[in-house]
Amino acid sequence: MADKSSSLEVEQQSDAAQFKMPVDSDHKATEFWLFSFAKPHMRAFHLSWFSFFCCFVSSFAAPPLLPVIRDNLSLTTTDIGNAGIASVSGAVFARLAMGTACDLVGPRLASASLIFITTPAVYCSSVIESATGFLLVRFFTGFSLATFVSTQFWMSSMFSPPKVGLANGVAGGWGNMGGGATQLIMPLVYELIKKIGSTNFIAWRIAFFIPGVMQTCSAIAVLMFGQDMPDGNYNKLHKAGEKHKDNFSEVFKHAVTNYRGWILALTYGYCFGVELTIDNIIAQYFYDRFGVNISKAGTIAASFGLANIVSRPGGGLFSDYLSKFFGMRGRLWGLWVVQTLGGVFCVILGRTNSLAGSIVVLLLFSLFCQAACGLTFGVVPFVSRRSLGLISGMGGGGGNVGAALTQLIFFHNSKYSTKDGIFYMGIMILVCTLPIALIHFPQWGGMLCGPTPGCTSEDYYQSEWSNHEQQKGYHTASLRFAENSVREGGRSARGSGHSKHTVPVETSPTDV
Amino acid sequence: MAGLRLSKTTIALLLLIVCHVGPSIAVLFSQLPKTLIVTATTKSGDVLHAGEDKFTVTWALNNSLPAGADANYKTVKVLLCYAPISQHDRKWRKTNNFLKKDKTCQFTVVKQDYTATGKHEYTVARDIPTASYFVRAYALDASGTQVAFGQTTDANKTANIFDIVGITGRTTGIFVSAIVFSAFSGVALAFFYVVENKKKK
Repeated sequence: MADKSSSLEVEQQSDAAQFKMPVDSDHKATEFWLFSFAKPHMRAFHLSWFSFFCCFVSSFAAPPLLPVIRDNLSLTTTDIGNAGIASVSGAVFARLAMGTACDLVGPRLASASLIFITTPAVYCSSVIESATGFLLVRFFTGFSLATFVSTQFWMSSMFSPPKVGLANGVAGGWGNMGGGATQLIMPLVYELIKKIGSTNFIAWRIAFFIPGVMQTCSAIAVLMFGQDMPDGNYNKLHKAGEKHKDNFSEVFKHAVTNYRGWILALTYGYCFGVELTIDNIIAQYFYDRFGVNISKAGTIAASFGLANIVSRPGGGLFSDYLSKFFGMRGRLWGLWVVQTLGGVFCVILGRTNSLAGSIVVLLLFSLFCQAACGLTFGVVPFVSRRSLGLISGMGGGGGNVGAALTQLIFFHNSKYSTKDGIFYMGIMILVCTLPIALIHFPQWGGMLCGPTPGCTSEDYYQSEWSNHEQQKGYHTASLRFAENSVREGGRSARGSGHSKHTVPVETSPTDV
Repeated sequence: MAGLRLSKTTIALLLLIVCHVGPSIAVLFSQLPKTLIVTATTKSGDVLHAGEDKFTVTWALNNSLPAGADANYKTVKVLLCYAPISQHDRKWRKTNNFLKKDKTCQFTVVKQDYTATGKHEYTVARDIPTASYFVRAYALDASGTQVAFGQTTDANKTANIFDIVGITGRTTGIFVSAIVFSAFSGVALAFFYVVENKKKK
C-alpha cells in the first residue's frame, strides 16, 4: 500500500510538474499571473481576451462615427435604432450555438472559426450604401460577440474554482473594453485619414479596415498558439480517450432544465445588455445633447467602455473574495447589491442636466454595471459542469436579448428622448435584478435560504449524468470539479477540510 | 492715479472678454425680420451632384424698406438648409426657434461683408449629404448675432426645394480591398481547417 501511494503521489507530482503554474487535480491553474504568458493557462487567457476585445471593437465601430455615417447613408433615427438592435440580436443565438460548439469541439476552434466567418462583414461595412446595408453589416458583425462564451468557457477550463471568478472577470472585462476603446480608436483613425486628405464620406469607410485586420490577426493567433485544455486540444484528448465526446441532446437537456441558467440569463441582460445599449447610444447622446464634437463625444463614450479594465475584473475578484467568507451565498448577494446600484446610477444619469455631472454619473454607472457582469460570471461556472458551455451561452445570450429589448423599447424611434430612455432603462434594471433572490443551490444555499441539509456538490454535479454514464466513468471531470469547489460552501465548509463524501485518494481501492 | 488707470484697464479687459464670449442675446428665429430677398439659380425639383454642380445665389435688401434699415448689418452669411422632408425622424437636423440650438442650416455657402446686393457662385461641397435643401441668408451685426434673414423658400419651407446627391464615398479601391480582405479570411479558415483535419489523422 505504501508503495502504491507513493507512486501515485509521484505520478501526480510529475503531472503537475509539466506546468509552469501551480495546478489542481484537474490541471487547472490555482493562481492567476496577469503579466505572464505561461503556457497553456496564461497564454490562453491573453489569446481569449484579446480576440474578444477585437470582436468588440468591430461590433461597436459604427456608433462613434454615426454623425458621419448617418449623413452619408441618409439614415433616420429609426434606421439607426434598428441597426443597433440588429447588432446585438445576432449574437443571441450565436452565443447559444457557441456554447454548444465549445462543449463539442473546444473553445479554440469554435472562437477562431466564428471570428473568421464574421470578419468579411466588417470589411463589407466599407462598401454599404443604404440603411439596409448598414443593418445587415451590423447584424453579421454582431455575431462575433459570441466569442464571449468561448472566452468564459476557456477560462473556466483553465482556472480552478477559487480563481475562476477573477479569470472570467478579467478576460470578459478586458474584452468588453473593446466597446470603449473603439469609441476612441475609430474617431482617431477617421480624423487621421481626413487629415491625410480624404473627404469625410470616404474616410470613415477606410477606417473600418482597422477593426477588420485586428480581428483577422487575432483569429490566426488563437489557432496557432492556443490550446483548449491544460492537457491538450479536444481532438487530441478525444483520440486518446481521455475526454469523452459528449452527446448534444444530453448537454442541451441539462442546460435548459436548469432554472438558474434562465435567471442568470435575465439578470445578465440588465448589466451586460445595458452595457451594450450604452455602447450603441452614448456617443450620439453626448454629441447631440451637449454639442461636443465627434472626437470629444467619442472620448466620453470611450470612458464608459474602458472602465472595464478594472470594473469587470473587480467584480470577478469581489465575487471570489465574498466566496472566501460566505461561499456561494456571498457571490449571490454581492451580485444583487452591485447590479442594483448600477440601476440607481442609470436612473440618475437620465435626470442629470449638466455635461460634467453626466460624465461623473456615467463613470459611476459604468463601474457598477460592469462589476455586476464580473459577478455574474463568478456564479455561472457553478450552475452546471456538464453543460458549462451552453449555460455560459444562455447567460451570454440573455445579455444580448436584454440589449436588443432595451433598445427596441426605449431607443428605437422618436417616442422617448434619449434622456428619458436612459431613465426608464435604469428602472428596468432595478426590477429585473430582483430574480437573483430566487437562485438556490441545494449544497450551498441562496440569497434568502441556507443549504438543504445533506446535499453535497458531488450529488449536484453527479445528477447531470445517468447511472449508465456514471458506470462508464464519463462523469469523472464533474466529480473533480465538485471536489475543487469545496470552498463555495463558505468558511464552515472549508473548516471541515473536505466535502463530506470525498474519500482521500490514497485509501480508495484501485484494483476493484 | 495708478488705481484709476488699473480699473480702466480692467474694464477694457472685461469688455473685450464679453465681446469675445459672443452674442449672449437669445435670438429667436420668429422675431427676425425678413428683409433680404434671396434667390438661387436652382429650381424646384432640381438635382445637383456634390463636388460637381454649381448654383448661384443672389441676395438683395428689400428696397421697399425705409433707408437705414440695414444700418447694423455688417456680415452676410448664406447657408444650405434642410427641407422638412429631410428633417423627418432625424433629431440632429431639428428646427428650433432658439437659433443657438437650431440645426436646420448646417452648411455655409459663403460668409462675407455685407453689401446691399450680392451674388456668389457655389460649387456644392463634397461633404454635403444627400437630402432636400433650400437656401437661407442671415444678416449679422458686428457681434455676429443674426438680425435679419431671407430665404429662397416660403414660410412653410415647401416651395423651391431642390435636391443634392452626395458622394457615396465608396471608391473602387475600397471596394476591391474589401473583397480581397474578405476572401483572405475565408481562405485562412479553410487552410486551418485542413491542417486540423490532418492532425486528427
